[in-house]
Amino acid sequence: MSQTAIAQADWGGGASPFGVAWQKMMMWFFIVTDALLFAGLLVSYGVVRIATGSWPIQSEVFSLTYIATMTFVLISSSLTMACAVKAAELGRPVRAAQFVWATILGGFGFLGMQAYEWAHFIGEGGGLLSNPWGSPVFSQFFFVITGFHGFHVLTGVTVLLIVAIRALRGNYSAAGVENAGLYWHFVDLVWVFVFALFYLV
Amino acid sequence: MSSDAHPYRFYGIIWVVLLAVTLLMIAIEGASLPAALAVLLLLFGSALKATLIIFYYMHLKTEHQALIVTVLVGLFVTSILMFVLPAYDGFHILASAIGS
Repeated sequence: MSQTAIAQADWGGGASPFGVAWQKMMMWFFIVTDALLFAGLLVSYGVVRIATGSWPIQSEVFSLTYIATMTFVLISSSLTMACAVKAAELGRPVRAAQFVWATILGGFGFLGMQAYEWAHFIGEGGGLLSNPWGSPVFSQFFFVITGFHGFHVLTGVTVLLIVAIRALRGNYSAAGVENAGLYWHFVDLVWVFVFALFYLV
Repeated sequence: MSSDAHPYRFYGIIWVVLLAVTLLMIAIEGASLPAALAVLLLLFGSALKATLIIFYYMHLKTEHQALIVTVLVGLFVTSILMFVLPAYDGFHILASAIGS
């Protein structure tokens, strides 16, 4: 097979086997590995829950309406992020920056709601070593899984703030918006599973 | 995927579907379904939402085939294997606890 044929083949390697810029490729690799970290946490939660047998009824501990509102805020911020990436692709930096600011607002909204949820959970007696609802592992998984996710949201908001401030200074890059967007959607993607497996199942 | 006149409409439609599936999942949690069926439906709902986010919001659908396969195999196959292998131990521990 000639070098040209190798470069053109889907599985032959070549200069750009994934057909994307290295920054985007590395963002995807990071997302896959980070997602596996969350998968590890959720799998360990699932196995421990199966082995434990009894588990608190989540709707008696959390307000599902409140958690659903948090989900609504995060999904909506994903919408504004997708619009920001589209605007950047269309060469509309001002509109893209506006959508990024809207996403940041959604991120802060989610973080504020999560902080209130944690305060309420702790106020009700939920701690790392014990809780009034049964197995202490329940509150441990609550703090670790939602805390780890919340830290990712905080990181995402920080990245988006950097993108937005750079845009204000004229240091705008459509690829930068796209990569920040990939990370933000990933944060939303993880919440889909946290919401279903930890709060609903 | 989106017309020039309404470049953001497509993302709005995905947003509506994501919210609708979320509401359906909450309804499933509230309904008195057998536990195994409820878990299965909730997992299906999550997978559907994840697919919409990955393919359309993250644009994986329009990426190179090699990237699509790498991401999907990396994410889903490894996650499923990660659960299937130790889950047996979880059931075993539960059975021992009930038996003793």
